[in-house]
Amino acid sequence: MTVNAPGISAAARPRWWRRIWSGLAVLFASKTAVVGLAIVLFWVVAALCAPLLTPYSPTAQDYQAQNSGPSAAHILGTDDLGRDIWARLLYGARIVLIMLPVGEHFWLPLGTAIWGVLLGLIVGCTLGLVAGYLGGWIDEVVMRVLDALMAFPVILLYMIIIAAVGASATNVVLAIAIVGTPGIARLVRGLTLDIRTRDYIRAAEIRGESKLYIMFVEILPNARGPIIIDAMLRVGYAIFAMGTLGFLGLGLPPPSPDWGSMVAAGRRYILAGSPWAALWPSLAIASLVVGLNLLADGLREESMRYQ
Amino acid sequence: MARFILRRLLLMLVTMFLVSVAVFAITSAAPGNVARNVLGVQITPEQEASFLAQNGLDKPILVRYLYWLIGSDWQAGRLVGLPVRRITTPDGFKEWWAVDRDGALVQWRVEGENLIRRQRRPDGRVEEKPDNGRWRIKDPAAESARLAAYRAALADNTEIGEADRQAIGRAVDRILAILRTPGQDQAALLAALAGPEGELEALRDPKAAGRKQALQKAAAVVAGNDALLKALAVYRTLTGPDADRLQLSDQQFMAGQLSRAAAQLRERDAGSAARLQQAYESLKAGDLRATVVALEGVAPLLVKLTGNVGDLTAALQDGRYRPAADVLRALGDPGRTPFDAEQMATLPALLQALANALDDADPAVGRPLLQGVIALKAGRTAEARQAFRQAADVLADVGQALARSDAAGQARVGRVFWGVDTQNHAVRWETGTGKDVWVFIQGTGWKAFAGGPVEYVPLQRGLLRGDPGVSLRTGRPVADLLFIRLRNSLVLAAAAFVIVMPLALLLGLLAGLKEGKPLDRILSIGGMMFSVTPEFATGVFLIVIFAFWLKVVPGATVFGEKAPWNRPDMLVLPVMTLTLVELGYVLRITRASVVEVMRAPYIRTAFLKGLPYRRIVIRHVLRNALMAPITVIMLHVNWLLGGIVVVEAIFGYPGLGSYLLESALFKDFNAIEAGAMVLVVVAVTTQLLADLIYTLINPRIRYGGPN
Repeated sequence: MTVNAPGISAAARPRWWRRIWSGLAVLFASKTAVVGLAIVLFWVVAALCAPLLTPYSPTAQDYQAQNSGPSAAHILGTDDLGRDIWARLLYGARIVLIMLPVGEHFWLPLGTAIWGVLLGLIVGCTLGLVAGYLGGWIDEVVMRVLDALMAFPVILLYMIIIAAVGASATNVVLAIAIVGTPGIARLVRGLTLDIRTRDYIRAAEIRGESKLYIMFVEILPNARGPIIIDAMLRVGYAIFAMGTLGFLGLGLPPPSPDWGSMVAAGRRYILAGSPWAALWPSLAIASLVVGLNLLADGLREESMRYQ
Repeated sequence: MARFILRRLLLMLVTMFLVSVAVFAITSAAPGNVARNVLGVQITPEQEASFLAQNGLDKPILVRYLYWLIGSDWQAGRLVGLPVRRITTPDGFKEWWAVDRDGALVQWRVEGENLIRRQRRPDGRVEEKPDNGRWRIKDPAAESARLAAYRAALADNTEIGEADRQAIGRAVDRILAILRTPGQDQAALLAALAGPEGELEALRDPKAAGRKQALQKAAAVVAGNDALLKALAVYRTLTGPDADRLQLSDQQFMAGQLSRAAAQLRERDAGSAARLQQAYESLKAGDLRATVVALEGVAPLLVKLTGNVGDLTAALQDGRYRPAADVLRALGDPGRTPFDAEQMATLPALLQALANALDDADPAVGRPLLQGVIALKAGRTAEARQAFRQAADVLADVGQALARSDAAGQARVGRVFWGVDTQNHAVRWETGTGKDVWVFIQGTGWKAFAGGPVEYVPLQRGLLRGDPGVSLRTGRPVADLLFIRLRNSLVLAAAAFVIVMPLALLLGLLAGLKEGKPLDRILSIGGMMFSVTPEFATGVFLIVIFAFWLKVVPGATVFGEKAPWNRPDMLVLPVMTLTLVELGYVLRITRASVVEVMRAPYIRTAFLKGLPYRRIVIRHVLRNALMAPITVIMLHVNWLLGGIVVVEAIFGYPGLGSYLLESALFKDFNAIEAGAMVLVVVAVTTQLLADLIYTLINPRIRYGGPN
C-alpha cells in the first residue's frame, strides 16, 4: 500500500529491511534455492573480481602454449591461440552479468543478459498493462501482434535480427528483448485482468486517479511477485540465448571473451585431441543457467507454499 | 471441424505472407552486402554492382518482392517481346529460353559488339549464328545529347593522339547531324549511320577488349600468386574504407595470406617475419587495430622488396596503363630502384613471374620485360634498366591504342537489345557505352564484355508457382537443396521424437505419482538441468564423453551423398543431444499434469471406492493427465526447431537448420525466405495437429459447433 490511509500507522507498515528479511527467509527455506544462489553468487563474484583471480588478460596470447590442457601456469588450459581459458571465462562472465560493452571504450553496468531482460520487461510490462487494463480494440491489436511474434520460430527471429543488424552486444540485447517481450506481456496482461477486478482498483478509480497512475502505481506493484520469478527464469533463458547466439557465430565479435563463441572456436579441436577450450565454457554456461533456474524454482515453490 | 481447419490454414497463409514481408524488409534494410559475403571483400565496386544487378538486387524492394512472389517471366516476356519458358534439360538443369515466333527456343549472347542467336534444337544441341539485325538504335534524342557531351569532352582526352582525336571528332559531327534530322525510322537511321560509323570502326582495334582482358588476367595471376603482394593487399584492405565491413571469414582468409608471407620472409629477415606473424595472430583473433599496427612496420619493406609491382598489377587490373608504365619506368631508374642486395633477393623472381605472365598475355609488352629480367639475373643491371624502360614505353603505347579504340567505340551510336542470356536472365544489352561491363558467371568467375549487359531481370517463376528462386551463394535453385536438407532434419527430429515421447511420459508419470519422494526430486531436478542447459553445451559434453574419451561413436556427421539412415552411428549423438534437452521439458510438464490430476476429486473418489491402484492410474489418471503434455509439446515445436538448428551446427549435420544459418550469415536472401516459409508451415501444421489431437482425447471440446 502506498497510500497513507488514516488508521494505518507508520509503525505498522513493514520496514524495507524487514521486507527484505522476510524475502530472504523464503529463499533460505528452500535448499534448491540456496544451491542456485550459491552458483549464481560464485559467478557474480568471479566476474566482479576477475583481475584479482587471474594474472592473465583475456586477449593475451601465449604462442608457446596453444591448445594446452590444465597446468600450473594455466589452470584450465589454453585455447587455440594460446589464451588462458580461466581468464576468458572470468571476463566472459563480466559481459554476461555485470557490464554491457556499448562502444569501443564505453560500457554500462549490469550485464548483457540482464539488460536484455530489463528491456523486455519494460516493453512487455507496458504492453501487458495497457492491453489488460484498457481492453477493447487495443487489447485485441496488441495481443494479435504478440501472438504473431510468438508463432514466429524464435531461432529464425534471432538469426534474421542479428544477420540484419550485425553482431554486437547492443544487438544481442535487442534480440533477447524482442524475443522475450511477448511472453512477459502475456503474463502481465493475465495478472492485470485478475487484479483490475479487486476492490482497491475500484477505489482508485472512484478516487479519480488517472489511468496511468492506476496501471503503474496500483496494478504493477501488486503483480510483482510472479513477474520477478518470471524475470529470474528469463535471465537464465537470456544467458542461454546469448550462448546460443555466440555459438552460432551471431554473438559478440572477437576477440571479446564471449562464452558461446569460445565453445564454437574450441569445438573444432575436440576431436583433434584438446577438448578443454570447448568443455570449460560449456560447463560455465550450463552451471550459471542451472543455478538461476534452481534459484527461481526454489523461490517459486516456497512462495507457493507460503500462499 | 472442416471450418476450423480451413480457418487455421487461412491463418497460416496470412502468417506466411507476413513472415515473408518481414524477412524481406529486414534483409533488405540490412547494411551488410550479399555480394561481399559471396565473392569476398576484395571485389571492386563495379563487380559488386554487377553482382547485385545480375541477381536483381538493384531493383526497388517492391518489384523484387513481386518477382519473388509471382515470378518475373511475364515481365521479361514483355520486355523481350517474346514469351519466355523454363525447360528442364536431360541433366536436370533448369534453363530459361525465349520462344521465337516459329516456336524455336532461343537465347542470345553478345561477343564484342556482335549479337549471336543461340537456337536450341530438339535433340538438345545449340546452333549459333549472328543476329545483329535485332539491335535497335537507342533513343536518338538521348544519344545525340550524350554524343554532344562526348564531343565537347573529346578535346580534353589526352590519352589518345591528336590525329585520332580529330578523326573521331569529324565522325561524331556527322553522326550528330544525322541524329538531329527529324522524322527517320530505325531502318533509315541505320543506313545513314553506316558511313561515319565505318570510319570509327577503322580506328578501333577489334582485339582491344581481348587484349585488355588478357593483361588484366595476367596481372591478377601475378598478384594472386605472390605471398608478399598479397600481404600488401591485405594491408591496403585493412587501411582502406571498407575495413569495418570485413566479415569474419574474410579476416580468417586474409590471416592465412599474412601467415604465408611471414613464412616466405622468415629466412631473409627474421624481424619482419615476426611482425607479419604477429599481424597474423592478431587478425586471427579478430583484433584489426593490432594487425594494422603490426603491418605498418612491415609495409615499406614489402613495397621495396616487391619493387612496387603491387601498384603495377593493381593499375593493370583497373585498366590504367600510365601508372602501370610508370612503375616499369621506375625500375629503369637507378634513383628509384637501387637493385641492392635486399631487393635482389626477392625481386628477380617476382619480375620473372610478371614477365612470364605478361609475355603469355601480350608478347609486345612481355618480351622486353623478359629480356630485362634475364639481364638482371645475369648481373647486367644497366642493360636490364634499358629493357625495363623499353617495356614501359611499349606498355604506354598499348595503353594509347586501347584508349583510342575505347574512344572510337564510345563515339558510335548506342544500340540496345532485350533478350534472354545463357545465365537465366532477361538482359538489356547496350553497345556504344564504350565501357566494359564485368559479369560474374557462377562457376567461371569474372568476365568483361564490351557489348555490355546493363540491366538484368533474373528469371524465376515465383514462390506462388512453386519456384523459390536461385541461391545467391551457390547459383543453384534453392528448391534442389532445401528438400534434401528438410528431409535430413525431419529424420533427426523424428528419431528424437520417437525416443523422447514414451520415455518422458513414462518418467513424468513416475515422478508425478511419487510427488515429493526422492525419485521425484531426482527426476525433476535432473530433467530441469538437462532442459535448461543450452543444446550446444550438452552436445559438447556428449562429444567429449562418447567420441573423445570412450571413442564409441563418431563426434561429427559426414554423409556426403548418402542419406542419414545409411549411417545410423552418426545419428546417435545428435539424437541423444536433442533427446536430453527435450526429455526434461516434457517430463516436467507431464509430472505437473499428473500431480494436478492426482489431486482431483474424481481420483479421490476412485480411491475411496476401493479401485486397485493400477486401475486408477491406467484408466483414470493417464488419459486425463496426458492432455496437457501433448498440446504443450506440439506448441513447443518452435523451441524444438531452435534446438535442431544448434544441434545441426554442433555436429555439422546437413539439415534445414544449418542451411538456414549459413544462408542467414551470407544473407542469401532467397534461401532464407524459402527456409522461413518451410519453418512457418512446419510450426503452424504442428500446432494444428496439436489442436486436433487435443479434441480427439478430450471429448469435452468440439471445434466449430455451437457453444
